[in-house]
Amino acid sequence: MSTFDKVVEVLVEAKDLETGSITMESTWDDLGLDSLDTVELVMNMEEAFGVSLEMSEDMKTVGDVVKAIDTAK
Amino acid sequence: MMHTPICDLLGIQYPVLQGGMAWIADADLAAAVSNAGGLGIISAMNANGDWVRQQIRKAKSLTEKPFGINIMLASPHVEEVAQIAAEEHVAVVTTGAGNPSKYMKLWLDAGIQVVPVVASTAMAKLVVRNGASAVIAEGGESGGHVGEQTTMVLVPQVCDVVDVPVIAAGGIADGRGMAAAFMLGAAGVQMGTAFLVAKECNVHQNYKDKVLKAKDIDTMTTGRRSGHPVRVLKNPFAREYYKKEFDSTVTEAELEQMGAGALRKAAVEGDVQHGSFMCGQIAGMIHEEQPAADIVTSIVTQAENILTGGCPWIK
Repeated sequence: MSTFDKVVEVLVEAKDLETGSITMESTWDDLGLDSLDTVELVMNMEEAFGVSLEMSEDMKTVGDVVKAIDTAK
Repeated sequence: MMHTPICDLLGIQYPVLQGGMAWIADADLAAAVSNAGGLGIISAMNANGDWVRQQIRKAKSLTEKPFGINIMLASPHVEEVAQIAAEEHVAVVTTGAGNPSKYMKLWLDAGIQVVPVVASTAMAKLVVRNGASAVIAEGGESGGHVGEQTTMVLVPQVCDVVDVPVIAAGGIADGRGMAAAFMLGAAGVQMGTAFLVAKECNVHQNYKDKVLKAKDIDTMTTGRRSGHPVRVLKNPFAREYYKKEFDSTVTEAELEQMGAGALRKAAVEGDVQHGSFMCGQIAGMIHEEQPAADIVTSIVTQAENILTGGCPWIK
């Protein structure tokens, strides 16, 4: 499973999003998520991937998250 | 006698923190609360570094006791202010409006106790992992910028996920609230509105009078449309702003323009028509202007009496 697919799986599981609505370009805002959701999701990603991620303002899209996870692996 | 881990951690006599209210919590108020045995906190709000440094030095001249500074992470001067807090070695930094992780190492290296305000369990876990020595779980009963969760639901859930002391905030102004916060698992409380009416608080008298006069139903939240809700006292400004939020012909930019400077108008000019009077829901319980020391000792004494008396319904 690619990092993207697994990120989508975590997002769908945590926030009941529709799988098809998520792309690499989706922003938190596009997905209807606020800043508190973001913090929670990054923690979920860390757990799912067994990595430690640095939360930053540059993390705006699903693609940014995928990139951060791949770098941290 | 009341003594909790917060007292040891922050070097204070009573586990009572004074909230960092923008345009309201200055060196005079912070020093008065610290001298009373609590922890006074200066609000760095959107101010520049010079103002913040001057306030820190003023507080140092007014009290030998520890005090804190509240750093608003959305401030345009946040980098500079974060640096000054470290250089001046303030005892405690509290943070609001976001994720403080980026600055935590700087403060921890300066020997500062970092105590972020958190509005969710995930944020609490994150800041503790980055070295926070305690967290302030603030419910939406509070004044100013508010989260969605109430103090009643947020505090126990935050207590469940972190292994550092939790300070409860939002909706606390007397010993009953403090006792309840302890029952939820908190080891301290932070109060803003209760200290706004302290004698040593330099806010405009009209602001104090509005808080003293307020009843239970007199606050409302504006700013939901922008995603940054703010609890304020009802007045012509708040009602007008609220109406405009539901008017789709009014743009975000116009709303922002309308809100700009409104808190200053309330706190400094006392403009009851056009000011934004940020205030907690608890205002209806606050009836008199008192010295900060009386506010601190009365809440602590009342909480001690309630807690040592236990619950009358259980034999």
